Amino acid sequence: METSVEMKRPLVRFRWAAIRDFFRRYWFELVLLAPLFIYVLGFTLLPVIQNIVLSFQEPYLGGGFPSLESYVALFSKYRFFESLQNTIAIALISVSLEMLAGLGVALMLSREFRGRGLFRAIMLLPMGIPTVVAATNMRYIFSSSGYLNEVLYDLSNVLVKLGIAGESYQGLSFLQEPLALFAVAISDMWKVTPLVMLILLAGLEAIPRDLYEAAEVDGASTWQRFTQITLPLLRPAITSAVIIRGIDAFRIFVHPLALGVSGQVPVLASFAYSEYQDVHLTTSAAASSILLVMILIAVIAYLRLVGAREVIE
Amino acid sequence: MKAPRGIFTRILFFVLVVAVALLVISPVYFMLIMSLGDPEETFATQHPDYIISHLDFAQPGDRDYTDTSWDRILPRWWSRVVLEPAAGGVRLDADLASRLFKSLRVAFMTAGISLLLGIPGAYAISRLAPNLKYGLMLGLFLTRMYPEVGIALPVAVTFLKWDRILTGIKFYDSAFGLELVMAHLIITLPLSTWILVGTFDTIPRELEEAASVDGASRLGTIFRIIIPLAAPGIAVATIFSWLASWDEVTYAIYLTLFNRTLPLEIVNIVGRSPPPVIATYATLVTIPVVFITYFLQRWLKAGYLAGAIKG
Repeated sequence: METSVEMKRPLVRFRWAAIRDFFRRYWFELVLLAPLFIYVLGFTLLPVIQNIVLSFQEPYLGGGFPSLESYVALFSKYRFFESLQNTIAIALISVSLEMLAGLGVALMLSREFRGRGLFRAIMLLPMGIPTVVAATNMRYIFSSSGYLNEVLYDLSNVLVKLGIAGESYQGLSFLQEPLALFAVAISDMWKVTPLVMLILLAGLEAIPRDLYEAAEVDGASTWQRFTQITLPLLRPAITSAVIIRGIDAFRIFVHPLALGVSGQVPVLASFAYSEYQDVHLTTSAAASSILLVMILIAVIAYLRLVGAREVIE
Repeated sequence: MKAPRGIFTRILFFVLVVAVALLVISPVYFMLIMSLGDPEETFATQHPDYIISHLDFAQPGDRDYTDTSWDRILPRWWSRVVLEPAAGGVRLDADLASRLFKSLRVAFMTAGISLLLGIPGAYAISRLAPNLKYGLMLGLFLTRMYPEVGIALPVAVTFLKWDRILTGIKFYDSAFGLELVMAHLIITLPLSTWILVGTFDTIPRELEEAASVDGASRLGTIFRIIIPLAAPGIAVATIFSWLASWDEVTYAIYLTLFNRTLPLEIVNIVGRSPPPVIATYATLVTIPVVFITYFLQRWLKAGYLAGAIKG
């Protein structure tokens, strides 16, 4: 017994000294950091905690605190489950489309060809277009007398003339269910694929050239070089792109709203907003808390799947 | 990598490049012709034209016709959105002006305050012990995981509470835009700090040590050595903060009622106004962004973008 007490004492004293030394050493940095730190605590962390607390409050003014009533109310709403499904579906569709398109464009840009600078500038264009504008622009394309229908109509006419198709295309309502889901995903894809492309391009440029040359000498085909060298070495970049995009895709809110389909395709964020509009504050808070839990589960599951270590950098 | 080989692959590659470029440009192109062109050609028809034959100017007899020189310069939908009749001619539409100026004010103030808090904060993080630095960076990244609708709700409640307690200063739905500056900082502070930490990390500590040997104070070193060297990264952080604030809609929805921002106004008129009016608003929101990115693009180098992407 005595030995353990004696063992502890210097340890405790040592820690105090360490903390004092830490402040002595870093006081200047800590002073500089304080305003930022306080702002993030007060204006990000505190609201998050307030929101979670609110979600466990009874849904009337001055209601008792630990109560699951809002969550029970949430799970009895059909629209909640609908928005849960839509959120997951849109996240899956848009992130996979963005990864495929981003990888494709990054591979194209990693080659040398005439006009590459111009192509790169065009590919980065959506980054400079506000999200709302990206979504409203999609209305001209996806509306029933929009440009997508017109392009398909013209194509079908060509096919009719060639005698391949029997009659010309009649038009689809892309902003109605079930296609509206894809309209939202594509609107999101148009806006953020440049970001994915830049992350993957940076990853591609970090792959040493000699690897490809060595593989070529060994007689590897283009496809083999892609699957044996490019993809494995690109994994960290792919992982960070999926995580960054996945988080944002679950939080999608502006695209359905500006496309004018948030009534037909409710997502969790727009569900939380409509509850807020109806002054069901606790239900709204519960919905966004569930969204947070979903994001956490998705990120952790994905990290488990691919191995967390490579993302940490 | 080398250029693609073989004439057939090269043609295929070229076709692919052109097709992808067209797909990316087309939404913006359709927005422009929608706002400039004749609705008979672009939207009031079952089969819209790909190319507009003429700019659609207001004609005498139109509801919006004001008969000033502006009617010969601005296409019909532009003069409808941008101008309003006033004594002795036309002036900038009052609603549009208030929204435009609120958006501009909020974006510039958000970018400015992000730098004011972000530069010292990021410098400190970059000079802290590695464990602590990593923890803080991860913490900043984690703030992105929480849905904005969840943060905006308690913030809106807080602002309404403050409005009841404090007299003389208005937060919720203020004309000035203080509530949005405070809310947009929630997004831009982690973003700019991420970019700035990446920048400060590239500046060797030996430079600071040399300066302190020469007798400069630590604050003096930051102002005279660190900040000038970090200028490109600071510029990128400013641009990204400005753009994030200009782009932002979610907090604006929760925190304003009548004093809307320009992007929020677009959300508000979707489904209510004719498509050319929406397209004109959309073009208006895009113009400042194009200018800003054009004039500041020389700062947008890949190395700094890498930091921005991670944020």
